[in-house]
Amino acid sequence: MLLTAVGAVAAISMIPFVYLLVRASDKPIDEIIQLLFRQKTLEVLATTASLVVCVVVINLVLGVAIASGLHFVQVPIRRLLVIPAVLPLAIPSYVFTYTWVALVPSFSGFAAAVFILSISTIPYVVLATLAGLRSIDGSQIEVARSLGLNPVQTFSRVVLPQIRGHVSAGALLAGLYTMSDFGAVSLLNVETLTVSIQNMYRASYDRSAAAVISFVLIAFSILFVMANESIKGRSTNNQLLKSLSVKTPLIQKTYLQFTTVLIIAAFAIVAVIVPFYVLLTRFFSNPVAINWVSLASATFSTVSVAAFGAVIALVLSAPLGYLLSGAPSRFAIVTNKMVVIAHALPGVVVGLALVSIGSKLGGLYQTTFLLAFAYAILFLAKSVTSMSSSLARVPNGVKDVAATLGLNQWAVVKKVIAPIAAPGIGIGTILVFLTAMKELPATLMLRPTGFETLATQIWSSGSINRFNEAAPYALILVLVAAIPTFLISRPDKEEQSFNYESIGGPSERS
Amino acid sequence: MNALEVSHLKVLLGNKVVLDDLSLSLAPGQIAALLGPSGCGKTTLLRSIAGLIRPSEGQIRFGKQLVSFSSVHLPPHKRKIGYVPQEGALFPHLNIADNIAFGIDRAVFTKDQIRQTTKEMLALTGMEGFGKRMPHQLSGGQQTRVALARALSIKPSIVLLDEPFSALDAELRAELRADVINLLRSQNTTAILVTHDREEGLVSADVIALMRDGKIVQSGSPEDVYSSPISPTIAISTGDALVLQASKLSDGSTDYILNPVKSSAHSVTAGHIVIRPEEIKLSKSVSSDSINGLITKIDYYGHDAMVAIDVADQHLQVRIPGPFDFNVGQNVALEHVGPVRFFANN
Repeated sequence: MLLTAVGAVAAISMIPFVYLLVRASDKPIDEIIQLLFRQKTLEVLATTASLVVCVVVINLVLGVAIASGLHFVQVPIRRLLVIPAVLPLAIPSYVFTYTWVALVPSFSGFAAAVFILSISTIPYVVLATLAGLRSIDGSQIEVARSLGLNPVQTFSRVVLPQIRGHVSAGALLAGLYTMSDFGAVSLLNVETLTVSIQNMYRASYDRSAAAVISFVLIAFSILFVMANESIKGRSTNNQLLKSLSVKTPLIQKTYLQFTTVLIIAAFAIVAVIVPFYVLLTRFFSNPVAINWVSLASATFSTVSVAAFGAVIALVLSAPLGYLLSGAPSRFAIVTNKMVVIAHALPGVVVGLALVSIGSKLGGLYQTTFLLAFAYAILFLAKSVTSMSSSLARVPNGVKDVAATLGLNQWAVVKKVIAPIAAPGIGIGTILVFLTAMKELPATLMLRPTGFETLATQIWSSGSINRFNEAAPYALILVLVAAIPTFLISRPDKEEQSFNYESIGGPSERS
Repeated sequence: MNALEVSHLKVLLGNKVVLDDLSLSLAPGQIAALLGPSGCGKTTLLRSIAGLIRPSEGQIRFGKQLVSFSSVHLPPHKRKIGYVPQEGALFPHLNIADNIAFGIDRAVFTKDQIRQTTKEMLALTGMEGFGKRMPHQLSGGQQTRVALARALSIKPSIVLLDEPFSALDAELRAELRADVINLLRSQNTTAILVTHDREEGLVSADVIALMRDGKIVQSGSPEDVYSSPISPTIAISTGDALVLQASKLSDGSTDYILNPVKSSAHSVTAGHIVIRPEEIKLSKSVSSDSINGLITKIDYYGHDAMVAIDVADQHLQVRIPGPFDFNVGQNVALEHVGPVRFFANN
């Protein structure tokens, strides 16, 4: 039964893919080739690729620097400094763009897009790198120092090799975000693949051509996911060696403290303070224009449809997450790969697929259910990952002991597994909720007529000149999204909340 | 010239004084055991010697070289210290050979020399053939061996071992400990072993340093520290001890339960006497002259046994060797055969 459920989930996550395949095959092959290799397509592909490369490189440098500073350097209010580094997660790229354009009217073009997408995605690398750094036993660093390595050598030979997998995972998220971003690039007049697809769909209703270009985008995403897999595969699992971990000694060198504070402060100014300042001033300078009724209804729509999507993702992720938490079978691994690939699908593509399928289903077309369902497909991988890693944290010994104490299978789930895994699963669900609230392209395509979310309201107030009308929606969206963002980053908790090894859980040493 | 000279060391962590006016010196090739309860500052002392912590007062010398004194602070990577932390802390991303070769300076030695040293270290620690394994494929004891090999590979001037055997079970622990100590002695390495196991300290070291609350309260050879403790509480930190009420008399004799003085001399000083459990002899020849007691319990350990005896209203613990034929409920005569260690009440 479990396997059937997992199979069904895999099939669901493949719906957009299959649709695009069918749709693209409508076109004769020579036309497809012509479409793929015409000047325009190649230009757009080159723009997309350079954008992704620039953003990822900036992410790697700044993201790793910020995370390392936060982890290794003794700075004032150290734990709170993670907030400005993570808060930009709550701000969608198109809101960033609006606020920066409002401040600098000439803000446009490729460099502007690199800037906006970098500040939107650096939190992914910071969070992933921090997780990696926290998994390193502090005494390894001390041993390396006693063996004659200076701090820089210690970082490059002990720390970097161990966080490579984490950094790469963060960079993957940043790259996929950039590839699938629609709002910022279209506002800044940078034509990437997503913009092309949207234009083809909107302008000419040439869905077959849009499907063909979608495949270029998908191929690009898959390439990226595979690159990440190969980097992750080469890094070792340092969970296997647990020791009574020594706290990493904090560096107190003045120039490093100064640099750390400087970088974080600069990042906080461009990525947090400027957007909030612009949104707040626009909000208060023009109170007459605020349509409170529509603001309230858009907020309600956004929260409810995003929450609906998060719940669907939670339900769909349960069987696969459970399979992956133990010793995963081949079937489970393959299924997970499919879900991850679906995660790499841009919102534009999933939107396109579900619009077409939905229009044939009649009853479902233009319902909030279909929109929530699209969110679930788009962000299923987030949910599956948190589900499986949270379930994997339940030690086998604990389950066995519970069984010997007379609990049946369901009681074990309820009294042992759920309480231990729930916080992690909750965070995964919140993450889906957060991302769904900010989602723009699929929302634009799939929403029922007259159904406005905060994202669509911001978008339809649309042109830069009417930004005053969009400001209240943008402010509410950012404020609402800031709450789950804060919950996810938990700056008050430096270590993971509960460490089973520390209370004599099963030793993972072989 | 001492290999290590720590004098008047004071270390603050935050506002807390962790080490206070601590002095310790080691001759070349000596092995010292730092013994003390957890939280007394043992690890902090090791980390100060390694240069991982900066002391606020006092100095540390390696031979002639001053490594720590007021503004002088040689960073850890220039100290050539072999450091073996608890649980080994192997680098999980490197195989065993690469772990061992990690600290060997690539600018100074050729690849072949590094490979040769790694091979020697594997052989020295009994880990031949494990070079290609990853750390998580080794048992706890093997990981400790590799951690030691890694520390020795840089030909350190001093090796610091921070409870390296604490994660191991008793049998493996004794065996590995013997191996490690033999290895350190064969290389004539100066070393400090932190432990909270009293026997481990006594059996391994040339010098025992007993720590309490950030100070070394007594140090000396294992025999000295065991047989001449400076106080009843210190006595307990090197082995089991009976602390009995006693009084010093004006004629110089000491009155206590195993030696009731019948002379007319009066008590001058009240205090306690410390007796090791093996310093009391038991016999079955009970007489009216002897000190007699009733056996209430026998804990049998094989090589010896701990016998609980009630003498008058006192409960005494007596250790007796191997084969014996005493039984619970039996009356026995007790005789104190060791030194009389009297400590006046203050």
